[in-house]
Amino acid sequence: MSLPPSLHPPSAKEGPHNHNARMLSTWSQAQRLRTPIPAPSDEAMSNGDSNNNPGEAPDAEDPRAALFRERFARSEARLMALLEHGGHVDAQGDAINAIPPSSESSAQLPPAHDARPPVTPKKAVRTITENYGDDDEEEEEEDDSRTSPLFAKSVSNGSAAAALGTPTLRIPSFPPRLGTDRTSTPSTEQPRSSDDVRKKLLQDKKAAEDMAKRTFNTMFYTLENDRDAMLEQQKLDELDRQVETEMSRQANEAPAAPQQGTLSTTNMGASSFAFKNLIAVLDKKRHLVKASDTQLRSLMSEVRKNRSKWANEDRVGQEELYESIEKVLMELKAGENAGPFLQRVNKREVPDYFHVIKQPMDIGTMMKKLKGLQYKSKKEFVDDLMLIWSNCLKYNADPAHPLRKKALYMRKKTEQLVPLIPDITIRDRAEVEAEERRMRQGDADADGAEESEDEEPIMASRGRKAPSKGGLGSTTGRKAPPAGLEGTPGADGKPAVPSLMTSASNVKNENLRAESRADSEMEGSVNGLTTPPPGTLTPFGPNGVSKSGAPPSQADVSEADGTGTSMSGFLENEDAELDDLEYKTWKQVTKKDRAIIAAERNRLFRDDRLNVEEPAILRTRAGMRRWLRHKKLASERDSREGGTAASEGKEATAGETLAEGVEEEEERQVPDYYDPVCVIPDIPERLQWAEDSQGYVIQQSEEYMRMVPPGHFTSPESSLAKRMESNIRQMQDTRKICAKIGIVKQMQLQTQMYQNQFQKYDPQPFVEADIDPMVVTDDGAIMAPYVCRAALQRSVGKILYHAGFEEFQPSALEAITDIAGQFFQNLVKTLNVYREAPKTKSDMPVPTPTGAMTSWVPRFSQEEVILHALDANGVELESLESYVKDDVERLSTKLASMHDRMRSHYADLLRPALDSNAGADGSGAFNDGSEQFVGGDFAEELGEDFFGFRELGLDKELGISFSVPLHLLQNRMHNAYAAQNPSNVATTGLLMEEPPKFEPVTIHNVAGQIGLIQDWLKAKLQENNNQPLVEDEDLPPKQRFPKPRLPPTGKILSPRKRPIREQQQMARKKRKLDEEREENAGNEGAGANGSFTGKGSNKPLSKLKLDVPSQKDNQNVPDPEKDDGSAVGMISPESITAA
Amino acid sequence: MASMNRASPVSNTHGFSLTEMIQMMFVSGETGEPSPETTTLIESIVQDQVQHMLRECSNLSTRRGSRFGSISTDDLFMLIRHDRAKISRLRHFLQWKDVRRSVKDSDDKGGDAGADVGAGDDLAVGVVASGAGPGPEAGKKAKRAKVDLVWEVQSFFNEVPPLKDDLDDEEEEEMNFATLQRLKNADERTKNMTREEYVHWSDCRQASFTYRKGKRFREWAGFGLITDSKPSDDIIDILGFLTFEIVQTLTEEALKVKAAEDLYKKTTGGESQNRLKRKRERGPFDPPEEAREPIQPAHVQEAYRRLQRGNNKSRAMLNFTRAVPRSSLRLI
Repeated sequence: MSLPPSLHPPSAKEGPHNHNARMLSTWSQAQRLRTPIPAPSDEAMSNGDSNNNPGEAPDAEDPRAALFRERFARSEARLMALLEHGGHVDAQGDAINAIPPSSESSAQLPPAHDARPPVTPKKAVRTITENYGDDDEEEEEEDDSRTSPLFAKSVSNGSAAAALGTPTLRIPSFPPRLGTDRTSTPSTEQPRSSDDVRKKLLQDKKAAEDMAKRTFNTMFYTLENDRDAMLEQQKLDELDRQVETEMSRQANEAPAAPQQGTLSTTNMGASSFAFKNLIAVLDKKRHLVKASDTQLRSLMSEVRKNRSKWANEDRVGQEELYESIEKVLMELKAGENAGPFLQRVNKREVPDYFHVIKQPMDIGTMMKKLKGLQYKSKKEFVDDLMLIWSNCLKYNADPAHPLRKKALYMRKKTEQLVPLIPDITIRDRAEVEAEERRMRQGDADADGAEESEDEEPIMASRGRKAPSKGGLGSTTGRKAPPAGLEGTPGADGKPAVPSLMTSASNVKNENLRAESRADSEMEGSVNGLTTPPPGTLTPFGPNGVSKSGAPPSQADVSEADGTGTSMSGFLENEDAELDDLEYKTWKQVTKKDRAIIAAERNRLFRDDRLNVEEPAILRTRAGMRRWLRHKKLASERDSREGGTAASEGKEATAGETLAEGVEEEEERQVPDYYDPVCVIPDIPERLQWAEDSQGYVIQQSEEYMRMVPPGHFTSPESSLAKRMESNIRQMQDTRKICAKIGIVKQMQLQTQMYQNQFQKYDPQPFVEADIDPMVVTDDGAIMAPYVCRAALQRSVGKILYHAGFEEFQPSALEAITDIAGQFFQNLVKTLNVYREAPKTKSDMPVPTPTGAMTSWVPRFSQEEVILHALDANGVELESLESYVKDDVERLSTKLASMHDRMRSHYADLLRPALDSNAGADGSGAFNDGSEQFVGGDFAEELGEDFFGFRELGLDKELGISFSVPLHLLQNRMHNAYAAQNPSNVATTGLLMEEPPKFEPVTIHNVAGQIGLIQDWLKAKLQENNNQPLVEDEDLPPKQRFPKPRLPPTGKILSPRKRPIREQQQMARKKRKLDEEREENAGNEGAGANGSFTGKGSNKPLSKLKLDVPSQKDNQNVPDPEKDDGSAVGMISPESITAA
Repeated sequence: MASMNRASPVSNTHGFSLTEMIQMMFVSGETGEPSPETTTLIESIVQDQVQHMLRECSNLSTRRGSRFGSISTDDLFMLIRHDRAKISRLRHFLQWKDVRRSVKDSDDKGGDAGADVGAGDDLAVGVVASGAGPGPEAGKKAKRAKVDLVWEVQSFFNEVPPLKDDLDDEEEEEMNFATLQRLKNADERTKNMTREEYVHWSDCRQASFTYRKGKRFREWAGFGLITDSKPSDDIIDILGFLTFEIVQTLTEEALKVKAAEDLYKKTTGGESQNRLKRKRERGPFDPPEEAREPIQPAHVQEAYRRLQRGNNKSRAMLNFTRAVPRSSLRLI
């Protein structure tokens, strides 16, 4: 369409204008009109309506041609489909049928529409003829077409006629043009035929829908109207149902007249080809089929999707008329304001209604009438419609009445929609045929184009006759030219001869029309003739408009009132549309879908409660795909800014990801937010799978992943913490000394000691372990309550340790931690309360961190906040200070002094004689003469009269104590110490140098040994698997045999520890053992091993014997027992200085 | 006063130590003769405090797990642990008590320490104020027993090293500071005294609730009622020391209250008060303090209120809860 939609305001002003223009042409052809033309003095609206018909007469070629072409294309497509892939017929047919014919005609045809009407129809006709050439029903159809010559003529009239080269046919179309010339827009006026108007309306609608759709992405409309929409929709559905039931009742009542005949003889229309075989079979077995012909036919027409339900072979033009009527009715019905007009007025509710309104009418009734096929022409229908609105306007006379607005709106809408209805009067086929025959008889000579007649039957057979009007057109095409010429002058003001109206052709026409025409038409024609120039007739301005709403039936009433005109004129000024236009469009476009959705949701609730029985609204793939498509569209639209309609092409590509396997669902005209379950949330960009140009995946993690900075869960560095830590270290050191003191004291008490008796006290330094390296995705605090609690617990433990607790019960620690956590939570909460106190106005403006000046300052300064919070939680600054001063700082000095005391105590305990001037190994202690060693006064602690001095009474005499310094107790100290520090023989240089070690005896150098012991050595070596022999000194301390020592008492102590049981045994056999031990000592001195063999218990000996060689095997392996020994906290004399 | 009502079960022993009370108040700076109401009030307060201490001590000892709930000195120390100055004074007191005992022992043995006996007696009651006496020198000679507290550093470790001689605690310095302050006050008070007055003063300094009337004191303090345990001499002595401290603190505080009141009256041109007759002979250069009136029960009550006030710690965990902070009786 050449005109942009916006240029076509569907205003009431232009309507009459067009009508006016068309009306001019009317007068020339008035005689030919079948539709009744109301008196010229009557309403312009009726003019407008009825004038569509004459207006279409000259311009009707376009829709006709379009229709033909469309039919052709459709049937051809079906044929092709049928021939090639038989199975897909239905699908294709569906697809084709899914598009409403009118929109198709407007959508598909526009370009070629005006340009080449003459060619296409012909071609179409030809093709169809070929296709149907061998149809078995051809005869009948030919007959049909012959009986409806009107139709054929309608074709020839406009377009085909031109091809046929009948110049006369063209002529009649000019006068109306001339007529339009007078209305000052000659050229543009012509395309503005009713057809164009219709198309334009459709386009408008489409544009409006588009616009509304576009606003889906930019506007959010509230949902408050949804309920109304839903209720209205329910009402509509209800209405439909009512009508349906009523109609079906009627249908049931209607007696089916079964008549058997050959099916092939019945007019099956175009279906006959598709069902050719079926029909043949049916015919053959006709006796087996119970159904009547009509039943079969209706069955078939049902199966044949492209035939509308209105199709009726006997009623010419019904299908087309009714289709459009139904569409208009549906449109009106679905409108925003249609609610009050859907059902007839209830007398009970409005008692006086029927006093005022004599002829009630409502949409429901109209539906019923429609279904009941009671409408014979467009006019009847339009009259009924207008009756509704005028009824309303009449009854509700109050200008402020809300219903008036609705009625006005509806009327306006009606006016917009009415041009969509082709002006067709339904006639009986018989009548048409009769007329046809008559015509043919009368005009056989004039019709040079009779050969095209054979096409007509086909048209007729398809039931697509736009016949009545076309027929008229054709008749006028042939006959009217003179009449038109004669008629128009009158209208044009040219030297017209009114008397010509009575021409023969006109008479004929009038005869034809007489059957179906109302007398008013007569009037009209008469009026048209008698009334001087139509210019005066043409209603201009509000007057005409105001009248346009009044249907003829009511017109007299309003006219009679006299006030009716003024009133209605006034009414027209009432703004019918208070709402925003866009919003209106939106409401209009989305109403149905909104209603459906609202109903869906409404079903989920029952009595304002969620209905659990109801199936949930689920996400569907189609919905998601739709969402995707919408989104893509929106983004495209955004990017293109100005682009309007081009986005449609992309729809197919959008949403391909979800499209697979999903059957296309009907597009809903609602924005996405009506379908929230199907929304696909965005994947955050960083989580998206992105590839670079090489096809490698881009690691996006680096951009947002980050490591938790260390120190999150350790105590921050501070001088207080440092001091506390040093205190703790100090305590640990002091405790170490304590442990040593304890061991020393224990060793002085015990005569027997065990290797593992003393656990070495080796405290580990306190290290606050941080958490393992952890990756987080965002800034902000790490929410890890357990880790935080553990950290707090650690701090609590540290403080407890600092307070002197060496260890704690877990439960106690837990409890304290909980209390501390609670306390700190309270503290922080209080801090927040004070920090967030409302700001106060200060006299002096204060600069904010951003630089702006503000006179609002926080109520509390930082210090105040802290002080308040502390006070509110019962913490006094003095107590804090005293804690730091007394419990931390002074504690450190105390601990230091305590450590010193401990050390000196330990040193005193360990080596009473050891002064600070004694060397590292204590050898310096002898520098002063070493009296105590000489005097033996160290033997006292041994508890033995070491030198027998006490016995002699020397201790009293000399006043000395006989105590042995601990470090002189070789057998106790040495083993432990040597085990720990085998290499720790630090010397000060005063000691002897160690002699070179003996070479180990090997299998090679055994010959160099003394001959006497060579055999013994060899045996040893053999025993040792020819490995080098190890000196006793070099053996691990455990396997080492004690060195023989002979105390002055002559008693030989047990060389090594024995199990207690053995000791008991030994105690029992003390006597014997004493003697034997002497022997043993002798043996051991010779390096012999295990002389217990004969007399002592065998067990330890056998063990020992096994031990020694095996030890030689794993000499390289670190001895486990050696490790044990080092683990024992034995004291080395050297460690004194270390401590 | 609620605390006074709590003392009613043992109120039959009231007034057993009014003389001592007056003496103690005199030492603490009250020059006038306090009315019986005042002394009774103070005595009730002291009694209440002592009984409260006993109650707490028995609680502590039970919690400690000691059998028969016998109270130890540690419990008493525990009660006053927050008042470091008092703690150190108490330790000082106990040390000197030991000194006195050892001196006595050695006195019994030999006679070389006999000179110290008198000083020891003196120390028993007024060791805090007797810094100027000959006692300390004598005590230095004797080996002072260190009174250890369980929360001291010493107890951190399981070995106890011998004390080093030259170890002077900071705490002692702190104690010394408080002690010096008291001595200074005493010095101020006695500066202008005549010899007789000073004798009277030093007599008064020896006033004790426990000295030579332990039995009555025990009844008064509620032993047997509050706790079944037989208190050791140490406990009684400590309690006596503490009661003296209480009276002293209370009197000093009441004097402060009274001074403030006087000042207020003077500045506001207070009404002329009928001055009481002076009780004592004075010299020609009497200080203006003689004009003072004795403290009234109201002053004592105000002082008590002030001393009870301001323990904020009980609010610690009650933030954001509905619980009303309830502070227990504070030890003066």
